[in-house]
Amino acid sequence: MMMELRLSDLRNGESGIITSIGVGRGRDRGHGGRARRGWRFGKRLEDMGLTPGTKVTVVKSAPLNGPLEVYVRGSRLAIGRGMAERIFVELKR
Amino acid sequence: MNRNKLTIALAGNANVGKSVIFNQLTGLHQHIGNWPGKTVEKAEGTLHFKGYTIDVIDLPGIYSLSTFSIEELVSREYIAVERPNMVINIVDASLLERNLSFTLQLLELETPMIMALNQMDMAKKKGIKIDYKKLEKLLGIPVIPTVALSGKGIYALLEKAIETIEKKVNVKPLKAQYGKEIEERIERISNLVEKIQFKYPARWAAIKFLEGDKEVEKELLKISPEIVATAEKLAGEIEKIHGHSCSTVITSERYDVASRVSREVQEITPPIKPPMREKIHTLTTHKILGYPIMAVSMLAIFYSIFTFGDYTSYLIGDSLFGLKPIFEGLFGTGVVGKLVWGGVMEGIIGGVTVALPYILPFYFILYFLEDSGYLSRIAFLMDNIMHKIGLHGKAFIPVMLGLGCNVPGCLGCRIMETERERLLTAFVVTLVPCAATTVIILGLVGAFVSIQWALALYIINLLIIFLLGRLAFKALPGEPTALIMEMSDYRMPHLRTVLKQTWFRLAEFVKMAFPLIIVGSLVIKIIEILNLLKPIANFLSPVTVTWLGLPAITGIALIFGVLRKELTLIMLATLLGTANFAEVPDFGPVQMIVFTLVAMLYIPCIATIAALVREFGWKKAYLITVFEIVFAILVGGIAFRLLILVY
Repeated sequence: MMMELRLSDLRNGESGIITSIGVGRGRDRGHGGRARRGWRFGKRLEDMGLTPGTKVTVVKSAPLNGPLEVYVRGSRLAIGRGMAERIFVELKR
Repeated sequence: MNRNKLTIALAGNANVGKSVIFNQLTGLHQHIGNWPGKTVEKAEGTLHFKGYTIDVIDLPGIYSLSTFSIEELVSREYIAVERPNMVINIVDASLLERNLSFTLQLLELETPMIMALNQMDMAKKKGIKIDYKKLEKLLGIPVIPTVALSGKGIYALLEKAIETIEKKVNVKPLKAQYGKEIEERIERISNLVEKIQFKYPARWAAIKFLEGDKEVEKELLKISPEIVATAEKLAGEIEKIHGHSCSTVITSERYDVASRVSREVQEITPPIKPPMREKIHTLTTHKILGYPIMAVSMLAIFYSIFTFGDYTSYLIGDSLFGLKPIFEGLFGTGVVGKLVWGGVMEGIIGGVTVALPYILPFYFILYFLEDSGYLSRIAFLMDNIMHKIGLHGKAFIPVMLGLGCNVPGCLGCRIMETERERLLTAFVVTLVPCAATTVIILGLVGAFVSIQWALALYIINLLIIFLLGRLAFKALPGEPTALIMEMSDYRMPHLRTVLKQTWFRLAEFVKMAFPLIIVGSLVIKIIEILNLLKPIANFLSPVTVTWLGLPAITGIALIFGVLRKELTLIMLATLLGTANFAEVPDFGPVQMIVFTLVAMLYIPCIATIAALVREFGWKKAYLITVFEIVFAILVGGIAFRLLILVY
């Protein structure tokens, strides 16, 4: 079944396709349009290759809500949990 | 302009071997400073080749030419406005796709460019084969495969750079071809931009407007606000078509081009057996094992530095103090002699016995670890703890440095991306007990009260760091910080590059700290000669005696501590006439604890203040200093009142 989850909700070893990077949590996520331009960390994620449509694999996460180790476009990144909660991915489970 | 003078800039992502190539090119003819008005390092070097004098600029390692970090801003201003004769784009062959996305951005700046396809050996190990001739054709710029570590391809790279400059080949680089609806709008804006005098290339500026780049917009608003309005309208249209912000769409499409090109030129056959570096990575980032490994490595490092440092510091100090009779012979033992020896020389000796034995090995190990890739793993493990004080994992590295000495700690804050993160981290660093503070804690409380109390002081310090860190984080406006960091593959560091880094850092430390230490110790010597120490101690007595409950004489010791913190202890011994503090009547456990607490917190030493001034300017350095003095006195007084209840 296809489902949309936050990157932070993925299990170790799971991969998903990025659908969007939201500004806030929950309600106000999604297509903020130009309002979202102010969010510099979102831009940073995109610059590092986490653009919509990209496959991203969660390798593991550091303990106690630590950052996630992810694989994207052949490179290994550490992404803080707060950041990972704002990345929405689509995957088959 | 001198026709035989050329400027070449090196640009690329972080961890691609850029600084190694820079070292291979320029050898020892380097100069490391800061970009004017910025806390970004500027590494410059010269080399002579085929009758040219070439100035090589090593731009900071970045992932994009947006404005996320100061590094990105500095780099793009340099390339777009200063216009070097040539940009060498250094690319990690084992991570082609992401690197190419940056290459495409550089090409948008329409600068003469060649590519060094570096780390070919690593790519080979990963089973990646790259057809660089094809890459050349696709990108429209010369591509030279290199292995920076062994120097392979460096000569060819230089030759190609000169050849390309001499031929004045009109490089017709591949422009990242965006979708039709975007290209149309880029063209419309760039046509408008071309009509006005704008300092950036028209197409690049047009793309930046669509991306909503605030800095470029600011520049244009001064000249032609109408274009900004048009661009905003057009960007809105793109957003409507795609359902994502225009900046997202552009970045995304650029990556699509990078991805297509890299697929076309590379063939990957991954090795079957996981290589050693992967196993080390798994182990050092393991959720359980990672922490003991980190703790053991840190302890081993600090222990060996302190053992080595103690020994050599003693040796150097001893032999330098042996010069005293010679100086007394030359300058006499009068006022001049006292100033020259007690002021200048003792200041120098103090500096030397810290810089060489402690700072030198410290820097060496640090850069070794950084080059190997281990520091990013530590940042990964420590991220959530650092979040408790409003920082993220990377900030642990300057904080760790601060445990040795606050000065490299403050300078190390440059690894943080934004100005705000840098300032917050530096503030935390100045509160970290450095080696000299440790000397006071262990030498006074540890030796004369109890080791439990010494430990308690560390814990109090830690709590204060958490508390103040959080408060500062809340007080300084800005976005919450977050970790986005590459963990590049483990590799063997390039020894010459590490040594050079160490050397330049040490020189930087000496240049910054020494003049201040010497002037400071001279001033104190003059005060001493003028017999002003007593009056000053009396002047301070409302604070020291009444509020803190300390003997008046401690005020003098605390003043000396501004130079270097361990001097507080040495001065205390001198002033009290004994190093056995237990036998001093008015100086019991309570006083010792209060004194240590104040010494621990009261001021960043003069060298740290200098580092703060350099990184953040006078105002912020002044604010931090004043705050910490007031805070230390406040905490000391409260501690005194609480402690007399216990003792």
